[in-house]
Amino acid sequence: MTTFILRRVLLMVPTLLVIATLTFVLMRLAPGGPFMSEKDIPAKAKQELLHRYGLDRPLHEQYLAFLGGAARLEFGPSYKYPDRQVREIILQGFAVSAELGGWALLLSLIVGIPVGTIAAVRQNQPTDFAAMTLALAGVSVPNFVLGPVLVLIFSLTLLWLPAALWTGPESRILPVLALCVSYVAYIARLTRAGMLEVLRQDYIRTARAKGLSERVVVVKHALKLGILPVISYLGPAAARIIMGSIVIEQIFAIPGLGRYLVIGAVNRDYTLVMGVVLFYASFLLVLNLLVDLAYSWLDPRVELA
Amino acid sequence: MSIGLRPPAVVLGSHERPAAPRSLWSDAWARLKRNRMAVAAGVFLLVMCTLAALAPWLPFLGDPAAQDLAKGATPPSLAHWFGTDELGRDLFARVLHGGRISMLVGLVGTLVSLLIGVTWGAVAGYVGGRTDDLMMRVVDVLYALPYIFLVILLLVFFSKSLLMLFVALGLVQWLTMARIVRGQVLSLKHQTFVEAARALGASDLAIVFRHIVPNTLGPVIVYTTLTVPAVILQEAFLSFLGLGVQPPNASWGTLVSDGAKLLALFPWLVLFPGLAMSLTLLAFNFLGDGLRDALDPQGRRDGV
Amino acid sequence: MNRALALFLLLATSLSCAPGVSDAPEVNGRRYFGALRAPVGQQLRFNLGTEPEVRDPGVMSGVPDGRFARMVFEGLTVADPVTLEPRPGQAYRWERSDDGLVYTFHLRAGVRWSDGTALTARDFLWSWRRVLTPATASRNASLFYSIVGAEAFHKGRTTDATSLGLAAPDDSTFVVRLAQPTAYFLMLTTFYPFMPVPQQAIEQHGLRWTLQPNLVGNGPFRWTYWRQNDRYEFVPSESYWDRANVRLERVVAYTVDDLNTSTNLYKSGAIDWNPSGYIPSQYLGYMKPYADYRTGRYQGTYFYSLNTTRAPLNDVRVRRALNLAIDRESIARDLLKGSREAWGRVTPAGYPGYAGPAQVKYDPARARQWLAEAGFPGGKGFPRIAILFNTSEDHRRIAEAIQAMWKRDLGIDVELTNQEWGSYLQSTTALQYDVARRSWIGDYLDPNTFLQILTSGDGNNRSGWANPRYDALIQRAARTLDPAVRFAVLAEAESIALDEAPFLPIYHYFTTELVKPWVRGIHQTALDVHLLTRVWIDHDWRQHEPIAEGNGR
Repeated sequence: MTTFILRRVLLMVPTLLVIATLTFVLMRLAPGGPFMSEKDIPAKAKQELLHRYGLDRPLHEQYLAFLGGAARLEFGPSYKYPDRQVREIILQGFAVSAELGGWALLLSLIVGIPVGTIAAVRQNQPTDFAAMTLALAGVSVPNFVLGPVLVLIFSLTLLWLPAALWTGPESRILPVLALCVSYVAYIARLTRAGMLEVLRQDYIRTARAKGLSERVVVVKHALKLGILPVISYLGPAAARIIMGSIVIEQIFAIPGLGRYLVIGAVNRDYTLVMGVVLFYASFLLVLNLLVDLAYSWLDPRVELA
Repeated sequence: MSIGLRPPAVVLGSHERPAAPRSLWSDAWARLKRNRMAVAAGVFLLVMCTLAALAPWLPFLGDPAAQDLAKGATPPSLAHWFGTDELGRDLFARVLHGGRISMLVGLVGTLVSLLIGVTWGAVAGYVGGRTDDLMMRVVDVLYALPYIFLVILLLVFFSKSLLMLFVALGLVQWLTMARIVRGQVLSLKHQTFVEAARALGASDLAIVFRHIVPNTLGPVIVYTTLTVPAVILQEAFLSFLGLGVQPPNASWGTLVSDGAKLLALFPWLVLFPGLAMSLTLLAFNFLGDGLRDALDPQGRRDGV
Repeated sequence: MNRALALFLLLATSLSCAPGVSDAPEVNGRRYFGALRAPVGQQLRFNLGTEPEVRDPGVMSGVPDGRFARMVFEGLTVADPVTLEPRPGQAYRWERSDDGLVYTFHLRAGVRWSDGTALTARDFLWSWRRVLTPATASRNASLFYSIVGAEAFHKGRTTDATSLGLAAPDDSTFVVRLAQPTAYFLMLTTFYPFMPVPQQAIEQHGLRWTLQPNLVGNGPFRWTYWRQNDRYEFVPSESYWDRANVRLERVVAYTVDDLNTSTNLYKSGAIDWNPSGYIPSQYLGYMKPYADYRTGRYQGTYFYSLNTTRAPLNDVRVRRALNLAIDRESIARDLLKGSREAWGRVTPAGYPGYAGPAQVKYDPARARQWLAEAGFPGGKGFPRIAILFNTSEDHRRIAEAIQAMWKRDLGIDVELTNQEWGSYLQSTTALQYDVARRSWIGDYLDPNTFLQILTSGDGNNRSGWANPRYDALIQRAARTLDPAVRFAVLAEAESIALDEAPFLPIYHYFTTELVKPWVRGIHQTALDVHLLTRVWIDHDWRQHEPIAEGNGR
């Protein structure tokens, strides 16, 4: 187990290196630079600015400096927000996105797994049919439509909930709802598929033959293996949901991390983009590792490669 | 539990005709036909695709680009079944033309991902060893890059041609396709029919593309049917950020995201395109599920 | 089918039967756009706008950044909340020499920074020198160029700070020497680049002086809380000289950049003031009936810039033709639904005393004549040019309309190109375009802020147009003291610009904001500048007369 973890951690380094290089190259190839604006800056001032950020050094020097900094987790100040360090921006944004994503993920699991399980147990009956159609509908409605609809009903018409912002507990409700709908749907479908597979197994038939109640059979014996597809889906899903749903954050004006990718790319904010991309990649790789570990823990038949 | 074979006529009674021989495909087709929702979904999609494809030539359809600034946005009426938008354009025409673009985006994007993914996964799975390792490592690295960042840069470099949009959308979906195909190929390449082909002197290329790949078709077809709605949804997401299909072309994505911004003022602008898009996506998903159940009733294949 | 979908359909269909905004509360016979839930106490909540990039008044540029600056800093003068005239700020009195070249400011006794240290004339000296230092990378340094030695110092031709015409003979006197009698100089001192910055904090914290809690200011409010992309909170500053007249107890400024979200926040009653530019453009045509909607002229014009270094646009006759073939009235009336005014001049309206030349009018016949004279009768042989704009529905609609007009009236085919913001800026700066959509917002209430950018070699020209006669006139105006003569010279310059048409004006900007009826002291101004010092919440607003200013359209 320890060797497996160590090997995976070591493998992360070349992956991150490739990602860092790819991002560096792409950003520098894009037309324009970080200091363009509608109001002109005269040449001397621009020169000083480039010098201050080290942008007047040759490209390979900049690349090495960047890599060195990244290794120490120092990404430097953002170009667009020069008084702030990229690291601070990421951490502050991540705290909010993680909370939003965490609630959404929790809600999706709490609702999705039972719904999928019930659908599997009552396969091909009306309950199954209703549950799965609802799940499909959840996947078919984009969340930038659901968000404004929820706001229109609960905030603008009924005046029950805030229309946006991240203030008190009641401001969590609508964004979490809008965000989790498609994930609930996916998790319900995956759980159903997994449970159907497991419920066919011989050992389940044995458990039933032994006279155990259906509930014990399902929850105690089948569920552990039935949610395996959910676990493997959870890795990338958790990364995406926690890194910030750009759309939800924009609609509800939530100060999360998602927007910085777009802002950074559009404004050619090199340091911000590099920081966010590497953060996202590392986060995803760590989550993948955790998912693989959880998989092997849940299903003892799986060997860690 | 059915085992797929009919009992001999002798058992059933002499008035029964003996069963005709069945292949895997006709078996699957029969199962699919029994799934009423999937059939309904298929019919709906056929109708939608036809309408959308023929949209420019339909006689009763107005011009989706014809503006009438004085009229502005009006609710549904007899003259305009879905109403008009702020520039006075007929929404029904725009929804049908938009469907054309959305379906095109979905199909071409899926095709791109299909081509790249199947080739990549098949080669990686068949060759195996270090090459497989390297190829899958590339997949892992690309998987870890935030999608939206890639797309923004792509669209910045190639300033928003429709072609680039297809490429951008296909570029993300092929990763999962490659993984699935590779898994399939890995389990298939040790089967006896492959050894037989090799013994007969078939080249590696022929083995991969003429023998193995057709046998992976089951999950590939299923995944393709499920990728099309995912691509259409991704395009809608990009439109919300202003990166999707550019005017004067409009897709369901642009119609829905523009309409969602005006929800409080003109709800019909998001309602009708949204319904059209959601029903179509639902239909694709139903069809995909039905195909999966038909091709593999045991549910042995994993994944969504 | 499935129940949830059916319910959604039912809800949506019933909603779609009610056209326009559903509920609009009515009081005293007036309809209001937003919910009427008055705040508690004397608290103002508003949307600051996009998160400010920089909080240093000497470096920043942009409206939201400026709003922040006016809360925590104050310059020698402040703009009057209604007329924008310079009023005493940190300086209570000033004199101007007869030749208009020397300004002497006298600071109030007892002005302090929020950390308690005294504010002296040396602070202004240090701050203004800092703006002009190239390493500071200030975006508004060119506004200081009328000061002796400023341009040379900023462009790096000298590093001797004492060559600047700035002096602080004692703690409460600040003397400015100008190279030419700039008539609008006093107005400039209300603008944020001219605000002082705390030397002690900058020397202690370096670039991080603009973060909480390092920031020290001298303005009416003290910054107490911040979360990135979320909000700023302020309370009145106890060290402010006019503290007694600040009635607000707390100010919350959210940083929401999505227009729909900002309007939703106003509508649901979460904010009291939705400032200009944060209402989606599609709503604007329907906002007139509401009493809390305010609109008025804003010092900005929307125009098309022509790249005069490229054929056929280097031919002035072609440019005249293009200019005369734009039907501005139709654009303003049909496309913009009357929310903005058609405009045929480079400088906007609202400069007291400046009449300006006659506006360009739609004249397709004359346009065709010019095009024929240039060698393209009926548009034959006219090369294909492209209109460039940054990606936005609004810009696209106008471009499409003009594309159709030029096709119809001149017979020429033009393409439309849109680029994302960064690429668009790059293209316009590097003169890689034919026709580009642009706008310019005035920095101060004087026509020079618009006419200056058309001088040859100005970094904001971006059209390649250079006319020595025009340059000479602008320079002459800068040296002229008599306002009437000066305006006449500027008008002559502007008529040259209109005739040679490097810029094709299209419409005049308007401010469009939403203010709750209980907020007193926020007035519509031509530069969208608001001083929150004397603002207060009127809890008895239903008994008082409503605020009527600014409801021009």
